[in-house]
Amino acid sequence: MQLLRSSRLTGIILIVVALISLPYWASRYWVLVMLLFSLNLALSQMWNLLAGYSGLISLGQQAFIGLGGYALAVFSIYYGFPIWLSIMIGGLVSVLFALLMSAPIFRMRGVYFAIGTWTVAETLRILFSNWKYVGYGMGLFVKPAYSLSFNTIYFTALGAGIGSVVLVYFILRSKLGLGLMAIRDEETASETLGVDIFRCKLNCFLISAGVTGAVAGVLYLHNIFIQPYSAFGIDWTVRLVFITIIGGIGTIEGPIIGSLLYVFLQQWLSEYPSVSLLILGAIAIGVILVAPKGIMGSIQEKLGFEILSPRRK
Amino acid sequence: MANSLLRVQKIDVFYHDFHAVWDASLEVEEALVVSIIGANGAGKSTLLNTIAGVLRPSNGTIEFAGKKINGLMPYQAVQEGISMVPEGRRMFPRLTVLENLEVGCYTPKARKRKDEAIRRTYELFPILEERKNQLSITLSGGEQQMLAIGRALMCEPRLILFDEISLGLAPLVIKNIYQRVKLINSEGITALLVEQDIQRSLKSSHKVYIMQSGRIRLEGKPGELSQEDIRKAYFGL
Amino acid sequence: MLSFLSELKVPITNGLLLGGLYGIIGIGMSMIFGIVRLVNLAHGDLIILASYLSLVTMTLFPVSPLLTLIVVIPAMCVIGFIVQYYLLNRVLGKGMNPPLLVAFGLSIIVQNLLLLIFTPDARTLLTSISVKTLPIGSFLNIPVVYLVDFIGSIVTIALLSRFFNRTYLGKAIRAASDDEGAAQLMGINTKSIYAIAMGLAMGTAAIAGVLVGMTFTFYPHTGPEYLIMAFGVVIVGGLGSLLGTFLGGLILGLAQILGAHFLGPGFQLLSGYLILLIVLTFKPTGLFAKG
Repeated sequence: MQLLRSSRLTGIILIVVALISLPYWASRYWVLVMLLFSLNLALSQMWNLLAGYSGLISLGQQAFIGLGGYALAVFSIYYGFPIWLSIMIGGLVSVLFALLMSAPIFRMRGVYFAIGTWTVAETLRILFSNWKYVGYGMGLFVKPAYSLSFNTIYFTALGAGIGSVVLVYFILRSKLGLGLMAIRDEETASETLGVDIFRCKLNCFLISAGVTGAVAGVLYLHNIFIQPYSAFGIDWTVRLVFITIIGGIGTIEGPIIGSLLYVFLQQWLSEYPSVSLLILGAIAIGVILVAPKGIMGSIQEKLGFEILSPRRK
Repeated sequence: MANSLLRVQKIDVFYHDFHAVWDASLEVEEALVVSIIGANGAGKSTLLNTIAGVLRPSNGTIEFAGKKINGLMPYQAVQEGISMVPEGRRMFPRLTVLENLEVGCYTPKARKRKDEAIRRTYELFPILEERKNQLSITLSGGEQQMLAIGRALMCEPRLILFDEISLGLAPLVIKNIYQRVKLINSEGITALLVEQDIQRSLKSSHKVYIMQSGRIRLEGKPGELSQEDIRKAYFGL
Repeated sequence: MLSFLSELKVPITNGLLLGGLYGIIGIGMSMIFGIVRLVNLAHGDLIILASYLSLVTMTLFPVSPLLTLIVVIPAMCVIGFIVQYYLLNRVLGKGMNPPLLVAFGLSIIVQNLLLLIFTPDARTLLTSISVKTLPIGSFLNIPVVYLVDFIGSIVTIALLSRFFNRTYLGKAIRAASDDEGAAQLMGINTKSIYAIAMGLAMGTAAIAGVLVGMTFTFYPHTGPEYLIMAFGVVIVGGLGSLLGTFLGGLILGLAQILGAHFLGPGFQLLSGYLILLIVLTFKPTGLFAKG
């Protein structure tokens, strides 16, 4: 498969190997950084799949983060399921909810869709805050996660991160991907050519929901403590939006760059979380005004350079 | 020979990626009625819109009363003394007839003379006074056209650009409107019209330009042009 | 039956009065949506910004919150003008997403600025009327502050309506919102008009912010709650209609208070959200939309 030139392939393999072996040669601090990077990468790849490729600006991904996290908590604590199974269930629950949600939500367009998804997430937030079974607003401690070693969690997160990139890459090379490219370039025209836009978008919505839900499970293995206010909070999406916009919306590399930037900024300003968000917000606005394609998009435009191009050559 | 009020020199206009107007030059002398005639898609409206400032020429110059105006925004062109009656009339649907007239000229100096200008418009188009408190979308096609022209008069312009004012109207109504245009012109206001109706233009203009496929093919006084030449230019033969 | 109704008289009255407040929360968003075709995702946060501005003014000058409007309204108008002219005008017409995302970015910036300056503590604009109630006859006790909210809302909307219908600038703004291109041909500098409209909208946000601060506690992250509420009011009430927005506010206010009454206080916001979702699904142009 002549997908990538061999020099790029070697480079990528080297990076992956370095990441996999990280716990054995780097300090725990750096492993933590890469863990956070991987998780943000996976989540933002999914947001990018919606916003950058399907034209769906969703402000409600946090619904699936909450659902996935709570699935992990509930099934591993109350039912004693093994952790990997609970994570999978989190993904499944998210897909099912997304399917349910899609009936009303897909009748909304543009800003209505955005606010509709946000409202659904807020609704879940309120419901979970008032639900005795999950501990009301006080939340749950994912005790079974204590038995896991930090490295295990790191590898799981890394797997999610790399897996998300691979997933998006293969989606874009598939039939679904062709449909998405057509939609991205010219939506109305592609409809007349037989591309089932609704189906394409729905599939992306479901995939992104499921993956987000599963990744959320991994996330809460690390965070341990889940409560509705933060789990279903808009803050998750804020991050994903900024990461994707700054990195380059509609490109595979965009979320990679964006997540790196985000994680480093966050670590650098860890004493002042509001400042980091402020700076991110300002950079994001600057990017939209000046270079709307983000870092990667502008590079692609100016230099014609793509690292992971899903285009068939 | 009257002074040249509007001078367009060798402009090209692109509408998105489409080269709509090629190397066009025209001259409109003060107090004349000049028409640009052409079939659908000939580029006449594009040319007119460029003069009004809605579009920008990619090269060439447009001079109005000796001053270069290409690059001005439409609202600035209005301040210079150019008014436009846009294609399709473009009423403000949720405003009444009177309100449409009131916002017809939003420059500070015109605002003071608003009432006077409205009175003159009512004189020219009495039906507008009758319907002054009705929403503009309730007017008939002909009445809307009159309102659009009345609106353009509010700025006391030196030059009015008329974009396809006969579109969709009955012949009697068109005749009526053209009579008013003549009246307006007799007060010294210069008129530049874009029209598809050849006969109408020849009858009412001092000078005509014929455009086809984005180029000006022919110019001259109606009396001096032969039917044959006109036909050839109009159809690009 | 009668006793059931009389049991409801308190929630219904409160719901309607509060609905007035919701109406004015939504007016600013309705204006911008109708005139500039932009959904200002920072609207809620800008309202809270106004609450904080009022708080600051109150610490500098010992006056009641309503008097701080003298300072807060002009301040917010200027902020609105600047944001529209230098920021939002530059992304208008570049598609649906850039304006949305810029406003979203602005929302986050405002929230975090407030967080940095004021800490996450809950605040309120305390005034003597905050706890007073007004007895109506012998069967009803209205919280005075709700009444003030309601009256403030009606007065503001009435003034706005007069402005749009009777003044030259108001008509120019309506013209620009009907047809931007044609308005330009009338000599109207639409970019500047949009900035003025946003300034006005922020003026209403100022009033909303002060009223909200007097009625509820607020902290830097309450913005998004009011955003969704404003959006709900605008969507339910219908676009392009001042009266419709007010009615939308009443409906949502009623829904929220009745929801809280029957389901419990935790479900107050939920009732509002559900109504929004239902209207969005079936009639997104709103219940009282004009044309």
